[in-house]
Amino acid sequence: MDIQALEEISLSLRRDVVEMVYRTKDGHPSPSFSVADIITSLYFEVMRLDPSNPDWEDRDRFVLSKGHSCPVLYAALAKKGFFPREELFSLRYLNSHLQGHPYAPKTKGLDATTGSLGNGVSIGLGMALAARIRKKAYQVYAITGDGELGEGMIWEAAMAASHHKASNLTVFIDNNNYQSGGTVGEVSGPYPIEDKWQAFGWHVQTIDGHDIAQILKAVENARLVNDKPSAIVCKTVKGNGVSFMVGENSWHKRVYTDEEYKQAIKELGGAV
Amino acid sequence: MSTVDSTRIGFRDALLKLAAEREDVVFVSTDSLKVVKGEPFLEQFPDRVVELGISEQNGVGVCSGLAASGLLPYICTYAGFLTMRACEQMRTFVSYPNLKVRFVGANGGLHGGNREGVSHQFIEDVGILRGMPNFTILCPADGGQVYEAMLASADIDGPVYIRIGSGREDKVFPDGTPFPLGKIRMLSDEGDDVALLAHGFVLGRVIEAAKRLKAEGIKAKVVEVATIKPLDKQGLIEVLHSTGCAVTVEDHTIINGLGSAVAEVIAENVPAHLIRLGLQDVYGESGFPEELLDAYGMRIEDIVAAAKTAVAHKKQ
Repeated sequence: MDIQALEEISLSLRRDVVEMVYRTKDGHPSPSFSVADIITSLYFEVMRLDPSNPDWEDRDRFVLSKGHSCPVLYAALAKKGFFPREELFSLRYLNSHLQGHPYAPKTKGLDATTGSLGNGVSIGLGMALAARIRKKAYQVYAITGDGELGEGMIWEAAMAASHHKASNLTVFIDNNNYQSGGTVGEVSGPYPIEDKWQAFGWHVQTIDGHDIAQILKAVENARLVNDKPSAIVCKTVKGNGVSFMVGENSWHKRVYTDEEYKQAIKELGGAV
Repeated sequence: MSTVDSTRIGFRDALLKLAAEREDVVFVSTDSLKVVKGEPFLEQFPDRVVELGISEQNGVGVCSGLAASGLLPYICTYAGFLTMRACEQMRTFVSYPNLKVRFVGANGGLHGGNREGVSHQFIEDVGILRGMPNFTILCPADGGQVYEAMLASADIDGPVYIRIGSGREDKVFPDGTPFPLGKIRMLSDEGDDVALLAHGFVLGRVIEAAKRLKAEGIKAKVVEVATIKPLDKQGLIEVLHSTGCAVTVEDHTIINGLGSAVAEVIAENVPAHLIRLGLQDVYGESGFPEELLDAYGMRIEDIVAAAKTAVAHKKQ
């Protein structure tokens, strides 16, 4: 798929997120937007998947460690054909298969249950080591937040993954520079992020996390490394694509008014 | 099978047998392989050992990923490092998605932790897990029973917890005795005066207490409750219905463990007077295994006295 087509998909996923949050009156919009281009690249170009066979043993795996970004992941799974788009609008309602945070047994195409922060790299490492033990060729991708790097378990997993030379594991760090309580610099201080992953023995790249060509190139680079896991630090913007969401951290979890909804859809190239 | 002389060897030998029979079995170690004398496993199945170093939360997270990818991981380390340090990982990433991960918790109870002291003596593990849906919780009484419980539970859908000790357990059952998965087991039945309900490394004391009670004319049933969850409620109801009183004995805090489970059955199903022996909402301390059980209210004499009190209360 060419870059322009992927960019159009990424916009459509963001529009679906706006629609989901607007209609269901809940969910995390701006954390979804900062990872939209990464998820688009993975699901529509990089990962080997078969929506008609969600449990295919040789499929590539994805772990959304920052589980609260799940609206955009659900939108990607629907667009990919794992379930009908209309079901997106059952998000967080009783009897929906779309839980507030990802629950793998209920949602077709979802590989991992996540939500409480810090756990996804370990789960991804387990999947990556299982590929080695079972002599499978699949790749494992995960996304963590930057605020999430405050969780000690991330670093337990980082140490173990490089010790095991888990080169089939690639972790994207969504460096949108915000966490719930403010900028990561104010709240927790994860910088310098690259040096930490390097010190833990990872192959590290830094890219613009909204430039799909850079994302695809970084994944390709990571695939060529055969003795280390890969970390891709993605410089991203929380709320990317909608002017009034950028720089306004209340959109971490906030519901659109009618006017905001119309403007957001319009800015994302859609028609209301 | 050679003689299984401790719970740790029972775990290891069963894991060796399971790994030889099925390709999905892997041993996840958090620098705990030597704790269970796992070197033979490493020699025979080097590609099926996942050594993660001292990182239990990561260890359980990795187990979640392994189990989601078609493997059957066994993670064994000290009981509290699993059920307390990695409690949330056990709950949200294994129990909630109902993945087939096997947790084997060493140093269960004062007997298991013995001279190590409280940081390595785990008296809360069963209670913590009892509140998690989907879990099967097994407390075998000796090494041979751990071996049998391992084999009996291999195919259970969802997570399983097996409590083991320090390696200093007395034999209660002859090797090869089947493990009564999901069922209570009547070990002796002298009559309907009182039921002595127990599991784990105190079971030998309970059997001895019943003999002393018999000599004094009190007819006890000795019932092993080795599967704490799912609990054999029907079996317990029948026993409690016939005796009308019971004493539970557990090397665990009396809060949330066997005693609490039996109290719940009594409260909802069958009136009976209950006395719970075990840790009385206190921590232990360093000491030799049997000495600690004595010091914390689990002497044979304590069991005998509690049984007499329960019987007297029933007659009032």
